[in-house]
Amino acid sequence: MTLAPAPPRAQAPSATSRRRPHRSPSRRKLAPYVFVFPFVALFLAFGVYPMLFTLQLSFTDWHGSGSAHWVGWGNYTYLLTNPAFWSSLGNSAVMWLLIVPVQIVVALLVAVLLDNAKTRMRGFYRVAFLVPFVTPLVAVAQIWVVVFDQQYGAVNSVLNALGLPDVGWLTTSEWAKPTLALLFLWKTTGFIVIILLSGLQSIDPTVYEASSIDGASRFRQLRSMTLPLVRRTLMFAVVLQTLAIFQMFAEPFVVTDGGPYGSTTTAGLYLYNHITRADLGTGAANSFLLVIVVMVLSLGFVRLLRSED
Amino acid sequence: MTTASVTVRRRLPGTVTQVFLVVLALAFLAPVAWAVLSAFKPAAQIINDPLGFDPSSATLDNFTRMFADVPIVRGFVNTAVVLVLKGSLTLFFAPLAAYGFAKYEFRFKGLLFGTVLITLMLPTIVLIIPLLLEMKELGWVNTYQALVLPGAVDAFAIFWMRQVIAAVPNELLDAARVDGCTEFGIFWRIILPVIRPALAGLAVLTVMNIYNDFVWPVVIASSDRMATLQVVLSSLAQNITGNRIGADYATVTGELLAAASIALVPLLLIFIVLQKHFINGILAGSVKG
Repeated sequence: MTLAPAPPRAQAPSATSRRRPHRSPSRRKLAPYVFVFPFVALFLAFGVYPMLFTLQLSFTDWHGSGSAHWVGWGNYTYLLTNPAFWSSLGNSAVMWLLIVPVQIVVALLVAVLLDNAKTRMRGFYRVAFLVPFVTPLVAVAQIWVVVFDQQYGAVNSVLNALGLPDVGWLTTSEWAKPTLALLFLWKTTGFIVIILLSGLQSIDPTVYEASSIDGASRFRQLRSMTLPLVRRTLMFAVVLQTLAIFQMFAEPFVVTDGGPYGSTTTAGLYLYNHITRADLGTGAANSFLLVIVVMVLSLGFVRLLRSED
Repeated sequence: MTTASVTVRRRLPGTVTQVFLVVLALAFLAPVAWAVLSAFKPAAQIINDPLGFDPSSATLDNFTRMFADVPIVRGFVNTAVVLVLKGSLTLFFAPLAAYGFAKYEFRFKGLLFGTVLITLMLPTIVLIIPLLLEMKELGWVNTYQALVLPGAVDAFAIFWMRQVIAAVPNELLDAARVDGCTEFGIFWRIILPVIRPALAGLAVLTVMNIYNDFVWPVVIASSDRMATLQVVLSSLAQNITGNRIGADYATVTGELLAAASIALVPLLLIFIVLQKHFINGILAGSVKG
């Protein structure tokens, strides 16, 4: 992602504007401190302080009351040698694979179509695709619970009507992940479409006109011109979704509670489970391990973007 | 190549596109439409005949039962209070701090903004444990200040607004200074009006995030008195997944859909009314390709 271009520097002051403003320059020096102060105060109190506290906590065995004992790297080694920790990361990785490739392809396709002035009813589509995004997650998750119910759900009734057998969407470990992935796709694809659309709209239209005259097909144009031009936006979308998927918590929490057989216990839900067991030291260590994973992944994607530049 | 075949080649992709978009749009709207319609069906019919809808048997039973069963009105009130308090904090202080970052030089600016960028990468749940303990220490568990203050001025809002404000020409600010405008006056009279489209985008996004926020409220505001709308909703859903003893599946499903419908309507209305601002705000203020 790039920052907006820096505005041109102010012109050399003209004769009239050289007259000093009657306000003292010290006020101008002081102003930014006043402006950022409320943010900094909240940030220190509810961002930095708890972060440092977590760091300290991650080296103790504290359970929320009584005295804490220093355990050194104990929580970290416990997690790193615990299959449940690795399977929570594995579950999130599988979710990533189920979601991101599909989402990027579909969203890019939709964005390209919505960017094309010849497509009709563009306003309607933009709203329709964003409806799931503005629908409260917990409400959506509840709809999923009901619609994908094995016995009474609407999806299985459609399958039955077509002569197909029931599927245990949320009750079998092979289907639970794809069903949750579908929920995530349905919920967030509209937002990714809008982000990609913003990238597409920043492309200079004359680029297309030139290549149309040269006889390039629509597909060629998409592959060799549009894709390279929106690559930064695409990478931004991928990083955004990577963060969201590895933090995913509410979806499995409401829909499957991590089951069946832990198949939907994502990294975020696994971390939350330490809290409910009051295993705060382990939870804190898990937090930092998850931060490292997410940061390495994000930087990896940013790197990927840079190396191709 | 004849002119006719050229027209066919031009038209066909157009039709395919249109069909693709229509089918996809219906798939995106169907679950919401199904949920809202089903909420008006008798509970037994929702599970026995999930796809049918008989307008003559439409009923409000699910809604009345749901209102009697869970403190959803209280949830609405709590969400509204948090929305107003937290929303105004974000919409005032985030652009103000972003203005400081974008248009001034001051000590520790690089360090501070770097920390903001790192915070963007941190999972929200990481802070849950220490924040919960901090709230216990302060005696703020199940209070409005616990729901409002943490995360009130978030890193994403600052990052986004800084980008937008940086693009406002400095000449405009200097001209105002010459006219005797104070530094805060510049923010209030020049910056805010100029960035209004992006601000509208931020407003819609902020309202949505606060309205939908779930992880923090479920930890900090679990009492019936303080539960926000989303917390009330999730407690209903867990009646199904947790197989609450004695709960009749059909009844709970009906209540669930009624609650979900009621929760999504206000946000959907806000979105439909303000969708132009929202979409344009994101388009105007987001990343460049």
